[in-house]
Amino acid sequence: MRVLGVLLRKELEATLTSPVGYTIIAVFLLVLGYTFSLTLVATRVANLNYIFHQIYVLAILLVPAMTMRVFAEERSTDTLELLLTSPVQEIAIVIAKFLATLALILGMIGGSVVYAAILWIYGDPDWGPIYSGYLALVLLGAFLVSIGLFMSSLTENQVVAAALTLGTSLMLWYADSVSGMLPAPFDSLALNLSLIGHFHAMATGSVFLSDIGYFVTMTLLALFLTTRRLQAR
Amino acid sequence: MNIETSASEAVQPPAGARDAEGSLTISARGVSKRYHSVMALHPLDLDIRRGEVFCLLGPNGSGKSSFIRMLAGYLTPSSGSISVCGHDVVTDGLAARRLIGYVPERVPLYNFMRVGEFLRFAGRLRGVEEQHVGREVARVVDLLALGDVVGKPIRTLSRGYRQRTALAQALVHDPEILILDEPTNGLDPRQIMETRALIRTLAGRCTVLMTSHILSEVEKTAHRVGLLLHGKLLGVRAIAETPNLEAWFLSVT
Repeated sequence: MRVLGVLLRKELEATLTSPVGYTIIAVFLLVLGYTFSLTLVATRVANLNYIFHQIYVLAILLVPAMTMRVFAEERSTDTLELLLTSPVQEIAIVIAKFLATLALILGMIGGSVVYAAILWIYGDPDWGPIYSGYLALVLLGAFLVSIGLFMSSLTENQVVAAALTLGTSLMLWYADSVSGMLPAPFDSLALNLSLIGHFHAMATGSVFLSDIGYFVTMTLLALFLTTRRLQAR
Repeated sequence: MNIETSASEAVQPPAGARDAEGSLTISARGVSKRYHSVMALHPLDLDIRRGEVFCLLGPNGSGKSSFIRMLAGYLTPSSGSISVCGHDVVTDGLAARRLIGYVPERVPLYNFMRVGEFLRFAGRLRGVEEQHVGREVARVVDLLALGDVVGKPIRTLSRGYRQRTALAQALVHDPEILILDEPTNGLDPRQIMETRALIRTLAGRCTVLMTSHILSEVEKTAHRVGLLLHGKLLGVRAIAETPNLEAWFLSVT
């Protein structure tokens, strides 16, 4: 546990000293504020459905830029060799990087709480879908970070890592669209792999264990693969 | 550095270096490394004794770095085993890595950290108890004369200071074994002399395994030398018993 704390502190410091994180957060909040204002003025409905779906799209586009350096940079600067020749288990390195990047993303998503506060002050929102929407965003963030970590562990080129993460996320996003073109049993497999399918229900207020299970399973699978990737050397 | 830099005579084996198996710190048996179809290191047996400075000599691509990366736990051997003070580097890797300080050829440093902060991080990572971290960092800062730069960001350091910082992180947990991959690469003559002197100072206190492709470097630093060529260990000699290392090198190769 002590080593995990040491690594987590280092990762948080690396994240907070990089201009990339701040730039992405600034872009994220700017776009979100713009969307929120337009949607509120146009619909005058006190809910955050639009915001949650906007965050979904932005997260798929921006998270690869936040995760691309995580392992790729350590590999290109040889500091990964330093970590892996220290008396540290690979899983501790993976968990520290996962938690540090997730913390940044949760901070980014946390910035949108101000919109919920605005709805609370000026309207009477239904809080159920807002709570479930934030749960969906946390699970989505964990999922995207874990995919990004795995892709970053495969290469020392940050651009390649970002492209692989973006490509995988987009393919999972559109998996349900291709299900109609596939024969059984691949059609149901594609449907069950669909990212938007599992996200949409939660973001609109319906919480199913199967959706939570999807995000948790996929996140754990990606973290497991990342750990195995570090061990295979 | 706070070490003697004048000693240039032949290096004497450390006391106890001739002991039998009980004093072995590194023992490799049938260790090989294959990268896909390329055999980087053919099966080799090697014993390194406690307190000695052992140098693997060979040209680039001879398998030196593959061997020490397997010893440091970064690579897994394709066959055979390596033990460090009785701990197998694969099956008991954590225990083995606790005993090792390692400086790769390209010094691995976190540029966003300051020197002191980086050394504290390295100490904690290698299991130095929290109450002793400050003391151990002060020890290596003093040993490597890093006092002037301890508060500076690593990204601003010169090549020499970067090398010293990398050495300091490898020594901060007072390891049994110090592994140095081409430790004088890219250093100026004064820094080379200082690094040699440091290695001699450490001999006896810990076992040093280094690599080099420079004959004079080996003569001035090591107690024993192993010659690697095309991934094969061609021979091991004591420097004190090899008055003409160059002639031996030519006769073997």
